[in-house]
Amino acid sequence: MRVNVKCFATLAEKSPPGGVCQVSKGADAARLMQILGVPAAEVKLIFINGVAAEPDAPLRDGDRVGLFPAVGGG
Amino acid sequence: MSERISQLESAIHAAACDGRIPEQVLRELAAAAGVDLLVAQRAACRVGVWPARYARNARQLSIQEQLALLESHVLLVGLGGLGGWLLELLARLGVGSITGVDADRFEESNLNRQLLGNAGNLGQSKAEAAAARLAVVNPAIQLTAVPRFMDEALCARLLRGMDLALDALGGLDCRLSLQQAAARAGVPLVSAGIAGLTGWVAVVLPGQPGPVQWLGAGPTGSAATPEEELGNLAPTAAAAASLQAAEALKLLTGRPPASGMFLFDLMDGDIQRIRL
Repeated sequence: MRVNVKCFATLAEKSPPGGVCQVSKGADAARLMQILGVPAAEVKLIFINGVAAEPDAPLRDGDRVGLFPAVGGG
Repeated sequence: MSERISQLESAIHAAACDGRIPEQVLRELAAAAGVDLLVAQRAACRVGVWPARYARNARQLSIQEQLALLESHVLLVGLGGLGGWLLELLARLGVGSITGVDADRFEESNLNRQLLGNAGNLGQSKAEAAAARLAVVNPAIQLTAVPRFMDEALCARLLRGMDLALDALGGLDCRLSLQQAAARAGVPLVSAGIAGLTGWVAVVLPGQPGPVQWLGAGPTGSAATPEEELGNLAPTAAAAASLQAAEALKLLTGRPPASGMFLFDLMDGDIQRIRL
């Protein structure tokens, strides 16, 4: 299945081409990060379809996933 | 005092033209009444007269809402990238009393984004620069400039009696303690963070969770933070501060704030609101 992924700030370089990533059925957010090569420790906020989620949250075809690092400058 | 104020209100009413009063006239009436300009601006709003400098607020704000802003006292923690723009926006909205806290002095690397810093004030305390800017932009605003680092005791003391706190800190390390102190004091908080072209903004009502609970206290040891890795740009600081100021406006005028957390990426124009 395909999910749309947006990696923010320092994670942007790990965004998949076209913002789309192919994952196997039943994959969770942690698996997606693995596929993208995003270190889990650098991801502070995961959100799926606009709602904060845990790494073990299951993904569904067409989900919009956001990965956000520890942005805190001012 | 109250008789003096009611005489001032009558004088403002008499001097108003088309429901407005120019600042110069208001200033003269304030001086004659022995009060400051902020007191006179509030008096004008009470009698239904717009101080001319706020006339363009009138299509968005009722005069009671303008008065609520003029009667508000906010705590602005940080006068750097976010804080400089915030101070500017709050002053132009007419938020009457601002306590601004920052122990830093301006250095050249601040000039790419920090509104209060300029070629002429390198080495000056950011708190002093804030006072100088307000004197130019809106001399009615009462600024309490606190050139100190925020520790827990100072934070608790400064939050007392505040209508709102604005988190314009740099770095994540002190943000959670500010959020907790604001919650203890029952003061709503508007928080924001930036790195590169990315930013977030969130309203944290007392007792509610805020983004820093997820974002943590930043890296330990020598690891670089995202803002160190990506730097910070003026449009990002200004955008985050604008969203913060808009939430401040709503909170201070009794309108419902945006829920959740705004995230934006100015590189691809993506802006979204997520639910925590």
